[in-house]
Amino acid sequence: MLVSLKWLSEYVEVPTDIQALCDKMDLTGTGVEGVERTGDNLAGVVVGHVVECEPHPDSDHMHVTKVNVGQGEPVQIVCGAPNMTLGIKVPVATIGAVLPGDFKIKKSKLRGVASHGMCCSKRELGMGNEHEGIWILPEDAEVGMPIADYLKMSDTVLDLEITPNRPDCLSMQGMAREMGAMFRVPVTYPEKELVEDPSQPNVSELATVTVEDAGRCPRYTARVIKNVKVGPSPDWLAERVQAAGARSINNIVDVTNYILFLLGQPLHAFDYDKLVGADGKANVVIRAAEEGEKLTTLDEIERDLTQDMTVIATPERAVALAGVMGGLETEVTDETTTILLESATFEPGRTSRTSRNLGLISESSLRYERRVDDVTCADYSAFAAALMAEVSGGVVCPGVIDIYGKKTEPAQLKLRVKRCQGMLGETIPAEEMTDILERLGCVVAATDDADVLDVTAPTFRPDLEREIDLYEEILRLYGMDRIPATLPGGRGRLGTRSEEQRKMDVVNNTMRACGVNETMTYSFADPKDLEKLRMDADGLGVAVELLNPLNSDQSLMRQTIIPGLLRSVAYNQSRGVRNIQLYETGTVFFGAEGKLQPKERQKLACVLAGAMGGTGWNVQPAAFDFFDGKGIVESLVRELAIPKLRFKALDADAAPHLQPGRAAQVLSGGTVLGWVGEIHPLAVAAFEAEAPVVAFELDLEALIKSSQLCRPYVDVPTFPAVTVDVAFVVDESVTHETLMQRITSAGGKLLESAELFDVYRDDERLGAGKKSMAYALAYRAADRTLTGEEVEKAHAKLIKKVCGSTGAEVRG
Amino acid sequence: MAIVDEVVELRDATLTAISEAQTTDALEKVRVTVLGKAGTLTGYLRGMGQVAKEERAAVGKTVNEVRNAVEAALEEHKAVLAAAELQASIESSAVDVTMPGRVQQMGTRHLINAISDEISELFLGLGYTVLTGPEVETDWYNFTALNAPADHPSRGLADTFYVKDNTGAETAVKGESAVLLRTQTSGVQVHAMEDRELPIYIIAPGKVYRRDVADPSHLPQFHQCEGLVVDKGITFGDLKGTLDYFCKQLFGEDRKTRFRAHYFPFTEPSAEADVSCGVCGGTGKLENGDKCRMCKGTGWIEILGCGMVDPNVLEMSGIDPEEYSGFAFGVGIERVACLKYNVPDLRMLLEGDMRFLRQF
Repeated sequence: MLVSLKWLSEYVEVPTDIQALCDKMDLTGTGVEGVERTGDNLAGVVVGHVVECEPHPDSDHMHVTKVNVGQGEPVQIVCGAPNMTLGIKVPVATIGAVLPGDFKIKKSKLRGVASHGMCCSKRELGMGNEHEGIWILPEDAEVGMPIADYLKMSDTVLDLEITPNRPDCLSMQGMAREMGAMFRVPVTYPEKELVEDPSQPNVSELATVTVEDAGRCPRYTARVIKNVKVGPSPDWLAERVQAAGARSINNIVDVTNYILFLLGQPLHAFDYDKLVGADGKANVVIRAAEEGEKLTTLDEIERDLTQDMTVIATPERAVALAGVMGGLETEVTDETTTILLESATFEPGRTSRTSRNLGLISESSLRYERRVDDVTCADYSAFAAALMAEVSGGVVCPGVIDIYGKKTEPAQLKLRVKRCQGMLGETIPAEEMTDILERLGCVVAATDDADVLDVTAPTFRPDLEREIDLYEEILRLYGMDRIPATLPGGRGRLGTRSEEQRKMDVVNNTMRACGVNETMTYSFADPKDLEKLRMDADGLGVAVELLNPLNSDQSLMRQTIIPGLLRSVAYNQSRGVRNIQLYETGTVFFGAEGKLQPKERQKLACVLAGAMGGTGWNVQPAAFDFFDGKGIVESLVRELAIPKLRFKALDADAAPHLQPGRAAQVLSGGTVLGWVGEIHPLAVAAFEAEAPVVAFELDLEALIKSSQLCRPYVDVPTFPAVTVDVAFVVDESVTHETLMQRITSAGGKLLESAELFDVYRDDERLGAGKKSMAYALAYRAADRTLTGEEVEKAHAKLIKKVCGSTGAEVRG
Repeated sequence: MAIVDEVVELRDATLTAISEAQTTDALEKVRVTVLGKAGTLTGYLRGMGQVAKEERAAVGKTVNEVRNAVEAALEEHKAVLAAAELQASIESSAVDVTMPGRVQQMGTRHLINAISDEISELFLGLGYTVLTGPEVETDWYNFTALNAPADHPSRGLADTFYVKDNTGAETAVKGESAVLLRTQTSGVQVHAMEDRELPIYIIAPGKVYRRDVADPSHLPQFHQCEGLVVDKGITFGDLKGTLDYFCKQLFGEDRKTRFRAHYFPFTEPSAEADVSCGVCGGTGKLENGDKCRMCKGTGWIEILGCGMVDPNVLEMSGIDPEEYSGFAFGVGIERVACLKYNVPDLRMLLEGDMRFLRQF
């Protein structure tokens, strides 16, 4: 809200130190978002004296003048205003001045004659609507004086952030009260006496009001003002309305806006004659809009209404959207002579929904949705009617129609002084509490209990409903900075990490130790993502759909993290970054029909492209392939101590998003942990990235559940091991996993470990379809040094069993 | 020639050979020639049996003396040669130490999670527990249970992402639904108050969503860390002290904090906390007299929202506000990233650019 300090100073003493004022406002809850000095926009406009005035040689209406602007020689200015004459004093915009509307004054030529400035009308200076001619200033105006100083119009306008709980601060009167409480200074409140014209018919003969649902409209008052002459507002009125940020429209509309800004009561002025029905009266009905009913609002937009909205209507049609905006058809025009003045209150929730559903926010709706005080509704109508008659030459008809449903009663609250002190952490004296609350408009009375005060909260403060609300008022105006800082002293609290959090630390530490960089991508997904990735949607639930996405390609919640990571791979590759190691832990979402909330699962996803680093003088990193991804998974499983890790080949049907032959399911016993593989080259291409991209996606909950971080101790060997290398020549179909199972079972107690150290293929030496798998076997006993004989015996048995069960031959 | 003379001659020849040996290998050859199994001096030692009895003592003495002398000379010269050879080897194996080492690439933590870790660590030390919750929430946990009025503007379609309600229920406002992407992690606090034993000292870091178009200073998804304390006798002073400690730990001991009254439905009284600007030292002016751009000349930077937990919120969660009080606060992690690490464009946090990620 814009607050003119010049205006505000009519009601309360405003401190001269603007910075200190702003700080104080900030600290007490009124955020200052901007400070503008209005005189500043008239810099360069000064009082000038016309010392020569000749007709323009090439024009029948322009004059060539010489104007003394107080500095140097008089300047030559060409002026087209009809009221230009010799000897007058006028506002002169000198070269370099910038007038409202970003109009910059430059040297120019008008029909061949040079002009070094401009003599201004009021409108050109942004003050009122008069544009009949230049503004002739009184003779005693001091030549050369800046016009802002001469007019004493230098003003400071604050742009304030009013929190939604403070509708009272959306008015000058409310801000004056707030300022009075802030600085503990007296405040005078605006008043105006209404004189009704007894010769006019009573309002009840001119209009009727029917409120169909008091829930929608707690109070509706109507007055009639006759014989108005609609025209420009007097300067003071236009100036006030403009200072508050509105346009000056005409004297009638400006009065409604003035009252809105001054007192916080939205008003609406109807053209009475347009409301009058066949019975010669304006019959106003406040009712629910009909579904699909249409109304063209003042902004000339036709609105589709719903039953949730409330309209002001005649028996025939809707004429205004209650609390939000008037209708175009019944607006006040230059021809209007009689006004029906509405001063009412409307239900906040409905106003807010109407405004949101229509995307229409007005000064009225802003106030109604925060609640307007019904108690003062009729008083402010009288204030407005009196002012309207005054500025338009009209007369106010006697009486007011006042349909008043349930009156808001002031809240009666108890303030327990000690409890308040206890919660704030400072012994604020009861007298100071009382002073703060009284300045805010509360009535405070002592009770039998010295510790308890009776507080009556004013109806314009709907936020003061409970005792705690009074604590807030006391705290903010006492000053939060005066409360000493302490730390909670409570007993019985322990800061602990959960087992899950500790395991997540292991996951993240391991990923980093493996050289992978953590990233984050959008949780939003493109509906085309799964198809582009070629991923099977089975088992991923119903995609979670956003009702109001920012873009169509971010309209779902992701079911897998991989598309986001592939986009990052493409992002890097397109910028020349070839070596990419990224991982993300995050949520994926699976909805279900009939369920309100989707299932959320935590996933760990990783992509690798290029190599672990660049080629150096002493390092030659190998390009990433399947086994790099698998290796990281193995490291994770080792660090998390997950038992019974298995990798099972996935075929094209089971994992269409992966390259067949380079894809595996990751299992711990019977539990599926996820998958690892090279992303199918077509899927990589669909995300505009370059293959190969190695990836895995694991279910973090499954990983964490399978993890058994506490491992038992195993004796460190004290006797030496005997290592024997052996190469088995087997069919291609025999996997390493099979061989390892056979070796482990055949090796018995003495076989400590078997490591695959070489794989060799040669059609000529080994035969087509064969491969040689070489293992380093270590034999060891825990309690003695093995003899050569023992080892030979065990080894011979192992070879026999492995060859027998797999068809392997030992390579010589 | 007498044996003694022969041995003496052999000694002289050997000592000369030793002194002339240029390498440890050549020296070893000399040793083998003289003292090896078939060595010349070894021959004399073995042949002592054939020496005449009356000469044996003199010969034996001489041979032993010669052997000792040869061994001593070998030992001495070997040490000299070894030292020289080590020296030569050291000299020849010098490297250019400015060349790069063999580096094992370490991965990096995402900046946002790194800050989140830092905050969690800080509050763990103060006895808080770290909790998480769902990202798709019901309007009850995101708004209603937090005392947000049914028509609070933050519930609007322009601010909150609504999710299609698969139960098919109708809603009061077009386009909204009873389920949404959480706009704050406060829902976690409500769950905590419902489910946990008192007292409660928790923080809830996590991802939240607001319907802002991504630009340098906004993201539609970002991170918050909210905190909640519910205990007997908690005061506004405790809130101030806790957050003052938090800001000093996060930004530096020399920073100051101030609290400005504000409004949040969830808390009463409510405040916003500012930390003094690190660029201008809280003066609002740079050394050259220009207005500080970081804090827009105010000397203060808004960092978090906070307040005493509203009694309605406590009651809705089944806690007696006459017996217990508490405070709550929320800080934007991306905001900390901007202030502490000068990240100029928040979108970088979601692009996955390796050159950005590997800076932290």
